[in-house]
Amino acid sequence: MTLTLTLRTKPPARVRAAPLIPELLRGLNASSVAALLLRCGGETVAVGDLFEVSGAGSEDEALVLGGDLRGFDWIGAGMVSGELEVHGDVGDWAGAEMAGGVLRIHGDAGARLGSAFPGTRAGMTGGEIVVTGDAGEEAGAGMRRGLIAVSGQTAAGTGLRMLAGTVIALGGIGDEAGLGNKRGSLASGRTLEPLPSYAYATRFRPPALRLQLLRVRELGLPVDDALLRGGWARWSGDRTELGRGEILVFDEENGSR
Amino acid sequence: MTGVTTGVTTGFTLGDTEVVDTFAEAFPMRYARVVITGATDAWALEAARSMTGFATSVIGCKCEAAIERSLIADETPDGRPGISVLLFAMDREGVGKRIVERVGQSVMTCPTTACFDGLPGAERTAPLGGTLRYFGDGFQASKVIGGRRFWRIPVMEGEFLVSESVGVGQGVGGGNVVIGAGDEDAALAAAQAAADAMRGEGIALPFPGGIVRSGSKVGSLTSKSMPASTNHQMAPTLRAQIADTLVPDGVGALFEIVIDGVSEEAVREAMRRGLHAAAGAGATHVTAANFGGKLGEFHFPLSELRDPP
Repeated sequence: MTLTLTLRTKPPARVRAAPLIPELLRGLNASSVAALLLRCGGETVAVGDLFEVSGAGSEDEALVLGGDLRGFDWIGAGMVSGELEVHGDVGDWAGAEMAGGVLRIHGDAGARLGSAFPGTRAGMTGGEIVVTGDAGEEAGAGMRRGLIAVSGQTAAGTGLRMLAGTVIALGGIGDEAGLGNKRGSLASGRTLEPLPSYAYATRFRPPALRLQLLRVRELGLPVDDALLRGGWARWSGDRTELGRGEILVFDEENGSR
Repeated sequence: MTGVTTGVTTGFTLGDTEVVDTFAEAFPMRYARVVITGATDAWALEAARSMTGFATSVIGCKCEAAIERSLIADETPDGRPGISVLLFAMDREGVGKRIVERVGQSVMTCPTTACFDGLPGAERTAPLGGTLRYFGDGFQASKVIGGRRFWRIPVMEGEFLVSESVGVGQGVGGGNVVIGAGDEDAALAAAQAAADAMRGEGIALPFPGGIVRSGSKVGSLTSKSMPASTNHQMAPTLRAQIADTLVPDGVGALFEIVIDGVSEEAVREAMRRGLHAAAGAGATHVTAANFGGKLGEFHFPLSELRDPP
């Protein structure tokens, strides 16, 4: 049975929601989950004081959070397995340093989605994050492996100091993307002006991106056939770093061949 | 047709077709399945044909390979039309070496293709992209997509995408049926009908068109170094010349269909389809090749194939 937490009270301060990940709640019944404490500003608050808890931590590691969770940071941070589904907007640092599993956000995500913790070099090292809305600044910062897929747009600074991995924004990647990117891939469904440290290589149909877009569609985002069939411009960078990363920009004009 | 004694005993008949009381003898083999996709089914087929060329017999070609079936876009990992290919060798190392050679030379080189593991989740694997990536000369890159690793190898067209490794399964090689009729034309027509009926999921018919006209025996009568030589007992021109011919009365030509399959069951059912298709297409006799039963782990008596598929 899936464990479901539905927000019923707006928290008095920002909540650190990192403990609410499937592997930490596995095997717990509803009352044990309700008794767990979360950081809320300078205080602690019981899960049961904020959420209606139903179901129990299941073997298949599925966890559902619902409500306006914009005041909740670190949702799904450090996840290593299982599925965490969120119905509602979330705060900052969602999926930060995630290592495995699937985080689905049906709503918007705040800043630093799937990024590195403050002061650490490598961010997400595995797993998949899917956002049906938009994502805030510096999504995928420091990312080493894994996939972040956003149906809408990402804000500025996407893929900052990225090591590897992939960020796809069907609605477009924001400005100043991929600063300091070593090997990572950014894919933008809309035109963008890459940083001057990126150089245009070619237009082609990237076979790996096609596979990733099909995976994103499987994960529930509406990937247009045009993105699968069409051509993408490849910009290589960041040339102030290793320069083996890429920004792929969907090129409608030259798309369907 | 007088004066020749054959060691051929009829087991049962299907209409006018006599099915000889004998068995096919087969061996354990290891196999891999790759899914080749292309921008069009024609390009996927080009790659698959090239990859499965000169892979008729493990004795001479180090592996046996054939097209298993074509795949529509919905059935392939990248949503493009594709072909699945089965490749058999005697052990996992053999499968690993041959698959790297053949995908490297025939698929990577072929315009528009990508190459995927067709046995995902198999317990044992052999590296594919993990070895081929070195062709990228340091410019290759990998992506983990849906929990599986792929290699992107930059090439003149753009990029060649290939699975890191392929699953290696345990299969059965060397199942067969031998189809005879009064003359070459009639025997070939029956053999073609049988081959068409036998192809399908889990089955590879490695010979040209699925059919071999030069069936062999182990070793030779005249040389110690020859690993195989003509199956003289089934050569119609010799039936009056040798004492132990296996060419039945009234048969002017024989064709063999060799079957490699992913399981004993897959091979048996393909043999059943072939036997009944041949009987319905003018074969006067259906028999099978064996080595006296001492070499192969798997025996397929034709008597067990009497019920239609």
